[in-house]
Amino acid sequence: MNPIIRFDQVSVSVREKTILSNISFALFPGEKGVLCGKSGSGKSSVLRAFIGLHAVAAGSIYFQQMQLTPASVHTIRSASAYIGQEPVLGAETVRDALLMPFQFKTHRNQRPTDARLVEVLTRLHLTTDILKRKCNRISGGEKQRIALARGLLLGKSLYLLDEVTSALDTESRQAVFDVFSSPQLTVLSVAHDADWLARCDRIFELEAGRLIRERRHGNT
Amino acid sequence: MATLDIEMPRMVLLYALCLLPWLLLRMLGLLLSRDIGLSVLRMSVQLALVGFYLKWLFDLNNPWFNGLWILMMLLVADFSILRRAGLKVRYFALATFIAIALSILFSTAFMVILVIQPVLFYDARYIVPLAGMILGNCMQGNVIALERFYSALRKNENEYATFLMLGATRQEAVHSYFQEAIKAAINPTIAGMATMGLVSLPGMMTGQILGGSEPWLAVKYQIAIMICIFTSTTLATIINLKLSLNSAFNDFDVLRDEVIDKRS
Repeated sequence: MNPIIRFDQVSVSVREKTILSNISFALFPGEKGVLCGKSGSGKSSVLRAFIGLHAVAAGSIYFQQMQLTPASVHTIRSASAYIGQEPVLGAETVRDALLMPFQFKTHRNQRPTDARLVEVLTRLHLTTDILKRKCNRISGGEKQRIALARGLLLGKSLYLLDEVTSALDTESRQAVFDVFSSPQLTVLSVAHDADWLARCDRIFELEAGRLIRERRHGNT
Repeated sequence: MATLDIEMPRMVLLYALCLLPWLLLRMLGLLLSRDIGLSVLRMSVQLALVGFYLKWLFDLNNPWFNGLWILMMLLVADFSILRRAGLKVRYFALATFIAIALSILFSTAFMVILVIQPVLFYDARYIVPLAGMILGNCMQGNVIALERFYSALRKNENEYATFLMLGATRQEAVHSYFQEAIKAAINPTIAGMATMGLVSLPGMMTGQILGGSEPWLAVKYQIAIMICIFTSTTLATIINLKLSLNSAFNDFDVLRDEVIDKRS
């Protein structure tokens, strides 16, 4: 089986400062991986490098067997969902935010039905009332779940999550855990949350931009 | 009716008028003597030089020299737009030059060849001042468009990245910033047209009336120039922003840090 994400000796520099150095790892379909380490260790940079937001100075990044290049970056971005700590919804109401990606050429023919919207919201413990609400009037936790819902509506199978459970209450966190426990979804996340770490298959420990240890869940 | 000349003693009297604001500013504790003196001196020397040059240009009325003068104005405008927009000249000079050259040449040619129809289409008395007026206004629009667009992209870096991740192409991801920048650039011209004649009498019309033209003729010229300014500003800002995208982003559609002039 081919890995869905593969970093092969990847180094990244931003403004002449090395932020990732010689990183190699792989994540296979259905696996849940988590990047952990101190603040500034390069966890978020790994996610950003994968979607081409940081230029790779050395090494190669692969999505399935496709190398990240200017020609493939649009495909890789369209196939994965990146949700940051403070997700940007980019629309006035929640409904507009959820349907926004379907205005773009790539997804124009995949507009979801109302029933599908309700189904996804329910999975994330959100009620349909939220659809009419203004995006600037909802909480940080709701924003994170709306961003996740948008990824689910797009039918993405790869999720890059940067501390998405940080603003969630216990019940909402459980809903997010349940959604991502699906074997169809592959997740590479950044998290400090012990519950989240306990549910991941692979733990990648970073320090000063280097991958210092890789653990499978339950092993040291 | 010929315009009345302002002879030298009365020019001196005019310069003396500057002493009134200078004195008032000084009383307010604003010590701007150096700035005021330098500005008045620069204005006088620059306009005197332009006066000599235009006199020579009008007398000669050679199409090549007229073209050369317009080319020089375009080059100065190109550098000035980028410096004021806080962008590095080496990345955007060509895009901005193409945008302003195409729009100015189109608008000026339209006005001179199709509307005014002088005997010589390259008549310096028409093309030099008209191209200058259109360019001056178009320059402001381009500064606003570039500055707004790239500031918005930098400020909304995460939003832009989110759009890309949701399947947007670069063109789709920048669309809302593009619309806002164009709107900001052409709004002053639209507002200017809406209040023209009510709030102030436009400079060109006033100049023509003082120069002895009939008010109706001055009005027609003013309308023509405003429509050309509006057209060229819209054209130039759209072309400029579109062309600038090629230099501003890397191959992965990420805004290049080095294109922004951090000194401004």
